[in-house]
Amino acid sequence: MNSSPSEFGIEVRGVSRDFGPVRALHDVSLSVRRGEIYGLLGPNGSGKSTLIRILCGILAPTAGSALVDGLPVPGESEAVRQRIGYVPQRFSLYHDLTVDENLAFFAEIYGLRGARKRERQEWAIALAHLEPYRQRLAAHLSGGWKQRLALAASLMHEPRVLFLDEPTAGIDPVARRELWNLLFELAGKGVTLVVTTHYMDEAERCGTVGYLYLSRMLVSGRPAELLRLPDVTPRGMRRYEAECAAGAAAVMGSARGLAYVEDVTIFGNALHLLVDGAPEPARIARDLEAAASAPVQVRPIDPSLEDVFVRLTKLASQAEAEPAGAAR
Amino acid sequence: MKGFRAILRKEAIQMARDEGTLRFAIAVPIFQLCLFGVIDTNVKHVPTVVYDQSRTVESRSLIRDFENTATFDVKRFARSRAEMREEIVAGRVATAIEIPPDYADRRARGVPADVLVMIDGSDANTSGQALSAANGVALSHSIEELLARTGGEDLPLRVFPQILFNPDSRSANLLIPGLVAILLTFSGTVLAAFSIVKERERGTLEQLMVTPVSPVGLVLGKLIPYLALGFLQLIAVLAIMTTVFRVPIHGNIFLLLGLSVAYLFALICMALVVSASAATQIEAMQRAQAFLLPSIMLSGYVFPLSSLPEWLRVVAQVLPATHFIAISRGIIIRGAGFADLWPHVAALLIISALLVLASTRAFRKTLA
Repeated sequence: MNSSPSEFGIEVRGVSRDFGPVRALHDVSLSVRRGEIYGLLGPNGSGKSTLIRILCGILAPTAGSALVDGLPVPGESEAVRQRIGYVPQRFSLYHDLTVDENLAFFAEIYGLRGARKRERQEWAIALAHLEPYRQRLAAHLSGGWKQRLALAASLMHEPRVLFLDEPTAGIDPVARRELWNLLFELAGKGVTLVVTTHYMDEAERCGTVGYLYLSRMLVSGRPAELLRLPDVTPRGMRRYEAECAAGAAAVMGSARGLAYVEDVTIFGNALHLLVDGAPEPARIARDLEAAASAPVQVRPIDPSLEDVFVRLTKLASQAEAEPAGAAR
Repeated sequence: MKGFRAILRKEAIQMARDEGTLRFAIAVPIFQLCLFGVIDTNVKHVPTVVYDQSRTVESRSLIRDFENTATFDVKRFARSRAEMREEIVAGRVATAIEIPPDYADRRARGVPADVLVMIDGSDANTSGQALSAANGVALSHSIEELLARTGGEDLPLRVFPQILFNPDSRSANLLIPGLVAILLTFSGTVLAAFSIVKERERGTLEQLMVTPVSPVGLVLGKLIPYLALGFLQLIAVLAIMTTVFRVPIHGNIFLLLGLSVAYLFALICMALVVSASAATQIEAMQRAQAFLLPSIMLSGYVFPLSSLPEWLRVVAQVLPATHFIAISRGIIIRGAGFADLWPHVAALLIISALLVLASTRAFRKTLA
């Protein structure tokens, strides 16, 4: 179905963007295969939205180049706009138009007319299960349904590349899962998707994830590859989970004080420890029990994606001067 | 022009659904026309205090003559010049007439009699008209007496003034054609100025930015519904003007309507320029004000253009309101035709064209 020869839906090479003296993106590169879901993660202000705006052709990069569906942006922005869809973080359809009117508007703005327009409208309604709400004003839809409508509207012109900026922020878990099912369906049809999110479970569903931190791409790769990065659990270190009967907070402070503990994070009722050297789990448990005066169970674990990002963020802020590429 | 039809249809639906805006657009100008249309700029019944030291048949006859001009309305009598002055300072009266004790005596002897008339100068319009009315009273008394003395019957020079177009000097006929232009300027600018900012505030502009909609398509699609609304306002206001205020349109009404479209076009483009560069509705409103006030003060509506200094007259020529007020007054009051008004029409069209250019540029900047 793709006329463009490239196997990549998106290719970004060394893109930087300055706003006056502020560098919002620094030498960012990434590539997304057609039909792949790319998860873009990073703290607020790390440059995610800037990157998406550059790829949508509404912001020009200061340096570097980017291809979207094989076309350069911003050079071919006009043509690119016809091939991309964008769902902003904030609901950006018209509150005072009905579901049907919103969809018709977006169909028309992409130049669809007559039978073709109606056909696409029916398709979008069916895809997003919006049939019962057709005549309802967008203002009267709940968060999850608004997000479906926004997605449906962005698909009227059958974009080959779709950008979603935190599409699941503030919607309930069931609506979230249903939205992701829609995204997988689209990816299955060859649509390239870029999704920003703060949810780790969503990141794990992506084919590739990239982590932006302080305007740089700290790391990019398949979730499984990222878990095995040497920087995440350096040679000689191990990860353990420590569960304390008195609660994680009770042993947090003492865990920090242990000489061989490199990093501590609370996970529900347990602590995740990054441990230097080779103390046995039994010894760690003894050390923590002494402090908490409650039984502690310690067992080895694999890192989670969150561990990966927390660890890499820490390393990056420690070695600010070192180039981001070194983390890969 | 890409996206023009989609934007046009969307704006039309949104406008039709927005009852508040429609009510504002139609009812407010009509209400204001009814409110301001009744203002009478002819000065009549100026409250007056009289200090009559003569207290004679002659002095009372003079006071009656002052009152008969309909300009003066004697409200009270004073017993000293100081008291008279105090009445003016307090704002209870605007003119004061002092008749000296020997008034009747001097008139009888044919010696010049001096009557003092004090006028409150804080209102230029009132003081001007009171001054000429007072001079008129003095002149007619003097002429009468001089004619009687010389036994002549006719004046050596007579002027026959003929006021064209508004022989009764009705204020409404002068005021309302300008007021129509001002009302249109206000509501047209305010409504259109909000249109783009609203999209920016609600985040919908960001969504539009990634679509292939062209700046010209966006500007024209937004402009035309407001043009239609402005036209509706105009028709409503003209209908009230001709029926309720009985101000006749002496010229061709279709020429007036056609040129109004050109004016509305310029106006809405102006509002879109304002709108495209503002981040919030409040900011847009403030910027619109910066354009509205000169449109009232410098356009010839309040002050005649001849009273402006040279450089302000140049500024006035750039304001679309100046040309439309000239057109509106020309057609309604004087029955002027296209041949008479073409310089204003040309100016209006040039300003409109420049503003369309400016507004699409402003949008291109926003979209890029």
